[in-house]
Amino acid sequence: MADRRRINGPIGATTPPVYEAVPKRPAAKQQPAMRKIFLKTGVTPSASGSAYLELENPNQTSPQKTSLKLACTVHGPRALPRSAPFSPHIILTTHVKYAPFATRKRHGYLRDSSERDLGVHLETALRGAIIADRWPKSGVDIIVTIIEGDQDRDAPHNEDDQGWDMMNVLSGCITVASAAIADAGIDCVDTVAGGVAALVSRDDAAQPVIVVDPVVAENQKIHAACCVAYLPTRDEVTNVWFKGQLPGADILLYNKMVEKSLIACRSANRVVIQGLNETVKNVQNTT
Amino acid sequence: MATSSSLTLSSATFSKLSPHPYLLANLQASDSSSPSARTNGRLPQQARQPYINTSSLSHAHGSAVVRTGDTTVICGVRGETLLTSAVPNYRAPDDSSGATLNEARDYDLLVPNIELATGCAPNFLPGVPPTTLAQTLSTRVYSLLHSSKLLNVSGLRIYQKDGSELSGRQRGNEAMEEDDEGDSTITERAVKAYWVLYIDVLFISFDGNPFDAAWAAILAALQDTKLPQAYWDPDREMVLCSPKKRLPLTLSGFPVATTAAVFTAKEKPKKGGGQYWILVDPDRLEEGLCDETVTIVVDCPKEGTKVLGISNHGGTVVGPVLMKELAKAAESRWNDFRKAVS
Repeated sequence: MADRRRINGPIGATTPPVYEAVPKRPAAKQQPAMRKIFLKTGVTPSASGSAYLELENPNQTSPQKTSLKLACTVHGPRALPRSAPFSPHIILTTHVKYAPFATRKRHGYLRDSSERDLGVHLETALRGAIIADRWPKSGVDIIVTIIEGDQDRDAPHNEDDQGWDMMNVLSGCITVASAAIADAGIDCVDTVAGGVAALVSRDDAAQPVIVVDPVVAENQKIHAACCVAYLPTRDEVTNVWFKGQLPGADILLYNKMVEKSLIACRSANRVVIQGLNETVKNVQNTT
Repeated sequence: MATSSSLTLSSATFSKLSPHPYLLANLQASDSSSPSARTNGRLPQQARQPYINTSSLSHAHGSAVVRTGDTTVICGVRGETLLTSAVPNYRAPDDSSGATLNEARDYDLLVPNIELATGCAPNFLPGVPPTTLAQTLSTRVYSLLHSSKLLNVSGLRIYQKDGSELSGRQRGNEAMEEDDEGDSTITERAVKAYWVLYIDVLFISFDGNPFDAAWAAILAALQDTKLPQAYWDPDREMVLCSPKKRLPLTLSGFPVATTAAVFTAKEKPKKGGGQYWILVDPDRLEEGLCDETVTIVVDCPKEGTKVLGISNHGGTVVGPVLMKELAKAAESRWNDFRKAVS
């Protein structure tokens, strides 16, 4: 049945525009080792904590210089409803939602399976960082809105979407949520950060190589990707999401990929620390 | 907390404990020299300055970010094609006598939706169906889009490819046919499909006055929208777009919404009595304390101000005299937005 609480549009099916010829994309430039991250806290003053994250777009042909855009709000810690059973520690609820205009394909307003998947991964990544038993009988909501996903606008539409961009989105979600939790003043053992490494080959003949922070649009073929949530000062990993196939079930290659994603985590963490330092400075200046 | 000053409350505590007396105490000037101000430091008729940034999203055909104070809204406009064969009860538009036909409304070509459940304020959390406020806002925006006749529907029609772009042999054939029947071009240009505009508004931060901000975001995003040039390809029986050429939408006018709330000195005012204040562009605290709100939609072209809509909810304070005063405030707000867009 149609959703009566929203405006649904025409009864007939609508199709996204189909182009007569896909414009030739210029050859991808040499990718910098890591894309620059922009992070800012306090975008939603009425929430307990909030943060906004943007990734630089190295592909200069597109009109925008940034690709991934995430906004995160944290509400809580607050009392659980009376009906909820007793809990000795804080109850973490994560929501990840794509905006309808975030990706090439329009997302509906109801959460789909990939959004739930991202939410579960985000929860595991954060649960290891929060000191949960300091807030018994309370709950906290962490909401990440994906304003723009990590997809190439000019990629051909018939290209099968294997969901590799979800890895980059998840690592961004972890980093932005960590900054928002710190902004909300919830005690953590460390600031968690997310990072991605992938096994890619430029063309069919080339030997696959491991790259840090892969740009999905540029790489010809991704064999496997791995997203890690990492606590740098404690040297602990709270979540690993590995997807794809490794040639010849090589466990060494797997270890290498995780190590490479830790590099990405460390540099993302530096951005979080710097962003939080700026927030503290601003608070001290105003009071 | 503080033991020495236990008898006095900080202003933040006061506003949380008893918001109504707090706002009243701020508005009632203690002496005549200082003007009455609101809790947020603004004068009663003073609105927040808008900031607008357009085309910041790459997957939408048009987008805008609007910020007024602590209210931040993102709007993305996306075009999708709808074949006329998929429209039930389709009638071909006839520009000469098409007075009764309203294509945008009849075929539902504009689909605005407002999403508040992004955690933009503590009472809007995801995981629940859209709140009453979100549904009301979507409907109000929908009806204003249609009643203001903002969009020119002719820009949304998609025709069969013109003869000039066909291959040489076909053009030759057509030229011969044209000799036989002189006005074949009119029947040739039948509408084959329409653009449907999905207008999605997302609140990033919510601090009162959602309608004005959402409407401004929609207006700025529609001004920014560039749809690819599309045509009907009879061979492949589908709508194709040319990747290079993008055409902007044609908008008529620049309607701007201004909302004001009426704050009464008594919490439960009796009819026709008591002191009251008109608060233009209310924030979240003020919205929670006011029963009566007025929204005026105006457009101020050079010929003179046009009022496109007035809506008044709850309360009985606002009469024709006050309405005139509010129209003045709406005019200055129109200038603010006009400046912010350009």
